[in-house]
Order: sequence, then structure tokens, then C-alpha cells
Amino acid sequence: MAIRIGKSDGDLPAVERGRSIIVHVDGKPVNAFEGETIAAVLLAENIRTFRHTAKTGEPRSLFCGIGICYECLVTVDGVPNTRACVTHVTEGMVIETYTEAES
Amino acid sequence: MTELVDLVIVGAGPAGMETAIVAAKMGVTVTIVDGYLQPGGQYYKQIPASFHSKDLTERHLQAEEIFHRLARTNVRLLTNTTAWDVFPDPNTAEWIVALCGPGAPDRLQAKALVLATGAYDRPIAFPGWTLPGVVTAGAVQTLLVTQRVLPGRRFLLSGTGPLQLQLASQLVHAGAEVVGVLEGAKPRLSYAPYAMSMWGQWARLREGWDYWRTLRRAHVPLRFGWSVVEARGKEEVQEVIIAKLDGDWQPISSTRQAIAVDTLAIGYGFIPSTELTRLLGCEHDYFPEQGGYVPRRDDEMQTSLRGVYAVGDGAGIGGAKLSRIEGRIAGLAVARQLGRLDEKMARAAIARQQPALARERRFAHMLGKLFTPGPGLYTLATDDTVICRCEEVTKKEVLGAITAASNTVTWVKRITRAGMGPCQGRMCGHLVAELIAQQTEQKISQISPDTVRPPVRPIPMGCLSGGSK
Repeated sequence: MAIRIGKSDGDLPAVERGRSIIVHVDGKPVNAFEGETIAAVLLAENIRTFRHTAKTGEPRSLFCGIGICYECLVTVDGVPNTRACVTHVTEGMVIETYTEAES
Repeated sequence: MTELVDLVIVGAGPAGMETAIVAAKMGVTVTIVDGYLQPGGQYYKQIPASFHSKDLTERHLQAEEIFHRLARTNVRLLTNTTAWDVFPDPNTAEWIVALCGPGAPDRLQAKALVLATGAYDRPIAFPGWTLPGVVTAGAVQTLLVTQRVLPGRRFLLSGTGPLQLQLASQLVHAGAEVVGVLEGAKPRLSYAPYAMSMWGQWARLREGWDYWRTLRRAHVPLRFGWSVVEARGKEEVQEVIIAKLDGDWQPISSTRQAIAVDTLAIGYGFIPSTELTRLLGCEHDYFPEQGGYVPRRDDEMQTSLRGVYAVGDGAGIGGAKLSRIEGRIAGLAVARQLGRLDEKMARAAIARQQPALARERRFAHMLGKLFTPGPGLYTLATDDTVICRCEEVTKKEVLGAITAASNTVTWVKRITRAGMGPCQGRMCGHLVAELIAQQTEQKISQISPDTVRPPVRPIPMGCLSGGSK
């Protein structure tokens, strides 16, 4: 559903993205570009639910987009609770969406 | 390890950068701390360093100019660094700032502090607001501007203020379908006196006109006095319910309509980030038109604590232009406090900023008066609507914790855990306060904000103990 925008007009001039890299999302190799945030890569792959909550199992995703709300948490290279909206992808990064354990 | 500097600025947005440039020119040693990877804050947010663009837009040129001026000073910029605690040093009457970030010292000790912490989108709770696909207007704009990613295809925008028109226009340019822009406010006769505040704001009027034209051409309907009241869907938003609002912004149920969308962007104004001024114990006042609680300041941006200054949107919503003027004034005031600028010159330089300051404050005041959500919007949540997203605390649970005797945000937090999650109440604090105000029939300005405790943001354990990061 989400898309990377190519050429544009108005106040959004076209960009040339960074080097093409491969990251792994839930075990699957995914194309990404250097400089992209994890949230951008997941959304561009049509992955909208980043996690399910502990108490009610509700789906959650990007919300504030600027690192304040801590809703877009994913596991990155084994590190849980990483904010997808402010963390940039790197070559070979292992990203996991998840269901929280009830604490 | 503690490092000594003259001035620590928290936040490298328009206000923080401008303060730094002015103070550094006067010979003040400055360190700026910012949580993001790149400076600029939200207004001058950039594409990543690995992206390239021939960007000749007005805003980008302004950003380049300010980055260039900053680079010509000896200001030290610590990005990707969290200022997680601030307190007075008992021996020196100076200020200690605890840091967490790669390559950052554990602590800075400064003679003066400028807090330029910015603001974030004010969320409103309604049934379905936690569904994937319901995002803040700021999130959509950040994805568009810094990542060139459209988070959906079919958008509805609901909120208040002119930034909605800007975002809708950007979405149209980017090829998205915008099924509507809902503006909660509606034109009233009593707003007429504010028209004078538009005098001199020609660039802004021109910008607004351009957005308006883009939306007209794309046949995007713009409705005044309407809002989203509910989002529906299984794993993600598929449909939203909208309704007309009455004078108190209370939805009129007979006007409810369903619209199919895949993304709902909500933008009900901004909340100033005041956790550091609150943690320090600065005096605050409640001004709805400035975004809620803001630190009380003198004419030179100094808070109720000597040597602690607050500038930009974190001290009251006013936008980038006002932020830069406030930054300039704070930079001059700090230089004088530290003896780097004599009294007469400082006074004259600060006086020169006054006309622009007054003009921008008038404009900010007008926007605040016209586009602040009314109390009715805080009644959208139903009993089982989540209020605290982190800890999944429902409206019913929040209301259940409020009694006549125990009715503070801090009390509700203790009983229900609302505000105890990783966002530390930034999303739900004002929602809980509004519920308390409704339940106890008090004014929202009578409800104190939550008590702030360090660390003001989640940080790795290593930083807390002062060890490796």
C-alpha cells in the first residue's frame, strides 16, 4: 500500500536514494536503501503491523513518526524495543516484528 | 566524566541553532545536544546524508544557510544524544546535564542552559485511534519529506490549523488520493479582529494560497467544523466515521458519515516538550493557545530559574520564525550573563529584535486562538478506548481512578499505570488531564501536569550507571 515516491513536483523535489542494500524482515530478505528508516522499509514492503501488544494483542504501527511515542517498536539484530521511525537500516540488518510477552 | 562549558543548548532545531550561533559569535563556548541523527529539528528536517537531491525550495535554502552559519562557529554539536537529566550543581550554582549517546561525555557542566526542546503532535483519543494506518500528520510529513515514502494511498486528514493544508498539498503532489481535509475550527465573526495579525505575513499568505489552489485543482474537499470521530478496521484502518462539530467541538451524532480510507492523518496542533523545564522546577503557566503548559519567561527568554532559558516551540507553540528570533535574544542574554557582551550593547541588540518578535507573537497568538481544539473532542473516547497506548489503560480505568479527593495526573498514573510506559505520558498526559477536568468539573488549567522524573527518556542501563554506552 505504501510506496516510495519517484519524481515529484511542488515543494518535494525528487531524491536519489542511497546505495541499495538487503535487510532481513521476519526471516525474509528485503530490498532497502541506505538512509531509509526501518519504518519506511517496512511500510514500503506493505508491512503495516509492527507489533502486537501484550495485554490485548492489538496491532500497533508507526504513530508519531518522530521518536516520541514508542509505538513503532521492533527487534533489531536481537535488540528489542527499537524505534523503527528513527533507526536507519544497515546492510544485513535483522528486523523482527513481534508479539509482546505479557509481563 | 564531566566536561565544563559555558552554555549547553538542548535541541538543534531553529531556536537552538540560532541561540548557538549568536552566543558563539560573542565568544561563549557552546555545546548543543540533540536526540536525532541530524540537526534541524522538525522544521528543518533533512533527507538522510546518503540521499541526494537538488532542493531549491525556500525552506531548504534557509536550512542550508543556518547549517552553514553554525558550521563556521566552534559550536560542538552532539547528535544522537539524549539529555536525560538536568539538575543544579550544589557547589557551583552551575547546571549539570546528563547525557547518553555515542561519543558524548557522561555529563556537561554549564554556566547557562538554553532549552530548545521543540514540540510534538497533540493526539486526540477516539475509538480506533491505535489502529495501524492512523498516524499523526507529523509522521506522514516526516516520511514524505525525509524518506519520500507515502504511507498509504487513500488519505483523510483531520485536525486543525494551516499545516493540514500544507500536508494535503504535499500528498497531492506526491500522487496520493486525499479524500478530504477536515478542519475542526469554523470561521466566526469574533475572529475578525485577528485579521490584522496577517498584516506583513505576505509569504505565508502566498504559501496558503498555493496550497489552496493545489487542493482545488485536485478536487480535495475542505470542510470546516468537522472531525474524525472513530476509526474502524480489523488489523488496520479501513473506514473512518466523521461528524460535524458544534461550537464546543462536540460531534453532532446525526451528521455521522463513513468514509473508506487506508490512512488517517490526525493533526490537532502541538504540545510543547516541557519535561526538562518541569524537571528543573521552573514555573509554568497554562495557555491553551500556546499548546498547554509552558515555562514562564522574562523578556529575555529566561525562566524562573536564573541561567535557565527556554526558547522555541518547547516554550510555547509559535513556529520556526518566532523560534529563531527567540533564539537570537537568548543567545545575546546568555552572552551578557557570562560577561561576553556589555549591558548597553546587549540591550540595544535585544531591542532590535522586538518588532519582529512582536509581529511573530501576534501571528502565533492568532493561530493559537483560531485553531485550538475545543473540549468536545476529548469526549470522543468510549469506555473501552485506550487512553495510555503504552500501558493499554482504557478510559474506563482512568475514570475509575479519579475521585473527588484524588484527582491529579500523577495519582491516576500511580493507580492505573497511565503514563508509565516508554513515552512517559507524552501521548496520554493531556488526555488524562482532560478526563480529570471533565469528571471533576474543573478547568483544564487547574489540572497540574504529571511529575517529571529522570531519565526523561528511555535510555540503556549503561548510561544510567555512567558506564559504556
